[in-house]
Amino acid sequence: MSEAEGGKWGIAHVHASFNNTLITVTDQTGAETIAKSSGGTVVKQNRDEASPYAAMQMAEVVADEVKAAGIEGVHVRVRGPGGNGNKSPGPGAQATIRALARAGLEIGRIEDVTPIPHDGTRAPKNMRL
Amino acid sequence: MRLALTGTPGTGKSTVADLLAEDYDVIHLNDAIREHDLYEGEDPDRGGSLVADFDAIVDWLGDWEGIVDSHLAHYLDADEVVVLRCRPDLLESRLTERGESPESARENAESEALDVILSEAVERFGVERVYEIDTTDRDPEAVADDVRAVIAGDRDPSAGTVDFTDYL
Ligand SMILES: Nc1ncnc2c1ncn2[C@@H]1O[C@H](COP(=O)(O)OP(=O)(O)O)[C@@H](O)[C@H]1O
Ligand SMILES: [Mg+2]
Repeated sequence: MSEAEGGKWGIAHVHASFNNTLITVTDQTGAETIAKSSGGTVVKQNRDEASPYAAMQMAEVVADEVKAAGIEGVHVRVRGPGGNGNKSPGPGAQATIRALARAGLEIGRIEDVTPIPHDGTRAPKNMRL
Repeated sequence: MRLALTGTPGTGKSTVADLLAEDYDVIHLNDAIREHDLYEGEDPDRGGSLVADFDAIVDWLGDWEGIVDSHLAHYLDADEVVVLRCRPDLLESRLTERGESPESARENAESEALDVILSEAVERFGVERVYEIDTTDRDPEAVADDVRAVIAGDRDPSAGTVDFTDYL
């Protein structure tokens, strides 16, 4: 089912920090939260909260909840240093997207909206390794 | 010895660098970028922030030694990197009080909550050369002493000692 065929779509907001991964799925407007999870809820050790393992576990639970709410696919907005690329730290972002897809959600546009530190100056876009 | 003193805008780098200037050479890189034309453009979405030109910066710095104060310092070569941290809600109000726009304060606070600069520093330097210092509710003098301890070799590297994702 694609978006054009009339399935209900949501937005998956993935926040991937050094230590943690948060997933929030909202409706298309961003106003209504359909499901939410953070790394702290699925692993015991603090340092594992950003791990791909935690992200996968969360994504499976979140995917089930949003499918139950009639959502068939999500556009993904990734915020976080792990957002572009597949390296640790912040390793949760890519694992999250893969797990959402594996759990049967369609994945639409993936946007990187990582904030940029700035103070009268900023780094150019190509500075990430 | 060159030390990169980095951290999200508002974490207190320049305040600490001014204290350290009694004992060390200090460059405030943001000022230098403006004064010496070390930029390649402007970002209209971020208040016209100057987009740093790192080839020009590296040429201008040469083999200068001392402390580089800037949220861009971790993009340069350095022996060690200190990353100052501050709870994002506090950082946001500090920046607003300093006259930053609400959008700007918010984007920087979100960067802090996501560990953007810490992650970049670890990616570039590896955990063994990064020293994270949480400045939340601490005196600038105490933070300056922590940086002195890094320089003296009396402090162990650290990263991931705070989790500010509650802010998000
Ligand atoms: N340890 C601290 N505690 C409280 N306020 C601080 C501290 N360090 C800095 N500030 C205040 O926060 C603001 C930002 O500090 P500044 O040194 O300019 O940060 P940066 O150079 O990292 O952007 C300033 O108004 C400063 O007076
Ligand atoms: Mg400063």
